[in-house]
Amino acid sequence: MLEAIRPKKSVIFLYLLIPVALFIFSVFIPLLTALYFSFFEWKSGQTIYTTVFNGLTNYKTLIGDSIFWKSFGNNIYLVVACIIGQIGLAFVMVLFANSKLAVGKAIHRTFGFFPSTISAVCIGLIWSIIFHSKYGLLNWFVVNVLGGTKQAWLGDANRVMLYVSIPLIWQYIGYYMVILFSAIAGIDQQIFESAEIDGANGFQTAIHITLPMIRSTMLVCLTLCVAGNMKAFDSIWTMTSGGPGYASYVMALYGYTVSFGQSNMGYGSAISIGIFVLSLAVIGGSQALVKRLTRGLED
Amino acid sequence: MAKQSSNFKPAGHNKKTAGYYVGKVLINLVLWIFSLSCIFPLFWMGYSSLKLKRQFNADVISIPFKTATLQNYRDILNNADYHLGESMFNSFRTTAISIVLIVLFSFVIGYILSRIRFKLNRPLYIMFLMGMLVPIHSLLVPIYVLFRNLGISNQWYTLLFPYISFGLPMGIFLVEGYVKGIPISLEEAAAIDGSSFSRTLWQIIMPLCRPIMVTVAIIQIFSCWNEFSFALVLIQNTHLQTVPLALTQFKGQFGSDYPLQMTAMLITMSPIVVLYFAFSNQIIKGMVAGAVKG
Repeated sequence: MLEAIRPKKSVIFLYLLIPVALFIFSVFIPLLTALYFSFFEWKSGQTIYTTVFNGLTNYKTLIGDSIFWKSFGNNIYLVVACIIGQIGLAFVMVLFANSKLAVGKAIHRTFGFFPSTISAVCIGLIWSIIFHSKYGLLNWFVVNVLGGTKQAWLGDANRVMLYVSIPLIWQYIGYYMVILFSAIAGIDQQIFESAEIDGANGFQTAIHITLPMIRSTMLVCLTLCVAGNMKAFDSIWTMTSGGPGYASYVMALYGYTVSFGQSNMGYGSAISIGIFVLSLAVIGGSQALVKRLTRGLED
Repeated sequence: MAKQSSNFKPAGHNKKTAGYYVGKVLINLVLWIFSLSCIFPLFWMGYSSLKLKRQFNADVISIPFKTATLQNYRDILNNADYHLGESMFNSFRTTAISIVLIVLFSFVIGYILSRIRFKLNRPLYIMFLMGMLVPIHSLLVPIYVLFRNLGISNQWYTLLFPYISFGLPMGIFLVEGYVKGIPISLEEAAAIDGSSFSRTLWQIIMPLCRPIMVTVAIIQIFSCWNEFSFALVLIQNTHLQTVPLALTQFKGQFGSDYPLQMTAMLITMSPIVVLYFAFSNQIIKGMVAGAVKG
């Protein structure tokens, strides 16, 4: 049957050649390049021709590098904060918007989704002004509405991660809301009706009916959220550049600083491989964990 | 007893109504505060762009009813040092070419992977799947090294390589899934009538795939226009900067002039904002389809 539409091999080859070559060239060749140079010393002043093979030295440095692990910890902080903030709040918002009491569901959808279409650089710049220690909107609010005193929000090394995660959370709540809206719309309405007749309140319905019914969508949201926050870079780069000190460094930012700020390409390559391995491990690990935890629910 | 229960009922009913209104107010308050916060920056930037630095620093929130000025717009449009017009042109060019090629390549590859059996079918499929998992920030250093040594960094076409490559996997999977839903008898009938593979591909299948190709285009327009990391490491020439890169100069060099910065953001955001509010339903649907299926 399929033979009738089967083209010659050369035709397939011609169609696939350019895009596949392009893809390999910009994704896999760089990955191999990073792997290769991660075994070399290539610091500022050295050119690509004067690099020196130094075996596993870069990886040994990486394992003992407290700043790298602090950055990794900050990535994990963002992942956890955003799972609670983005998916959790989005779920609550969606339940609110779907209730009979809510007015303007379509508007919440359109307005809520809007920030996710704006570049992270813009979001970072806007929030830098909001957080600004002298002229910021937040300080205006604190002083004029709450009667408090001005604070250097992004200058507080202990809380800076909390403050930089707020814009990230806020930007994507609407995005997850929309995904959850469509998942809930796919549930048979009769289930909700019979739950109502049985006397279940809104909270019980949400936990015992809605949540289990959209489990697979929740898993998708979780994967997106984990993957998205392992690659946090743009907005943090714009807001704090990692500061104060190394307090808000994330892996990508550290890799960038080492490679381009300090021109240490060899070690930067090792960090790149570190980012690759750790990101995949965290994404894969979180998925395995959730699947394991929810397996019992299915039976 | 009967009297008691008849007394009880309206009371209970009243109580429920009070709770109902409290609930209604609370739910709507939370929802509206969130929704309005999402578009508030747009308004804030809009009226703040009509203020001067001095006015903004004196009062960040007030609306300049009487003192509105277009000075910031004049400054930005007249001062070539900001490279704003140039950067918008660069972003338009990069985004447009990337979108066209991503959509075409995704269509061809997605179709072939979905319909044609050949030895490399599965390996290619897995390769694109793996490409989706590669964290882009692990490629910044090596892609910089590679492009620099091949002499293809800092060119007008430089960003096309990563943008197209990272746009391909999701596009391919969306098309692949979509083609599975098209009855194969269509292509068989075409083949029996003597239509070549290419002719069937472009003249019969492509029109049918238009909805999914639009979805792919929507997703990629936003990610190409907003992309920052690759542009940061691959483009040093200020004349080739894309929009996000041009905006970061307002952070350092002109750091303290926030109204000016907001004006720049507003101007460069405008194409995206107009596009979004004109087609928000299709855009939201497309982005969600991409997220869930891709």
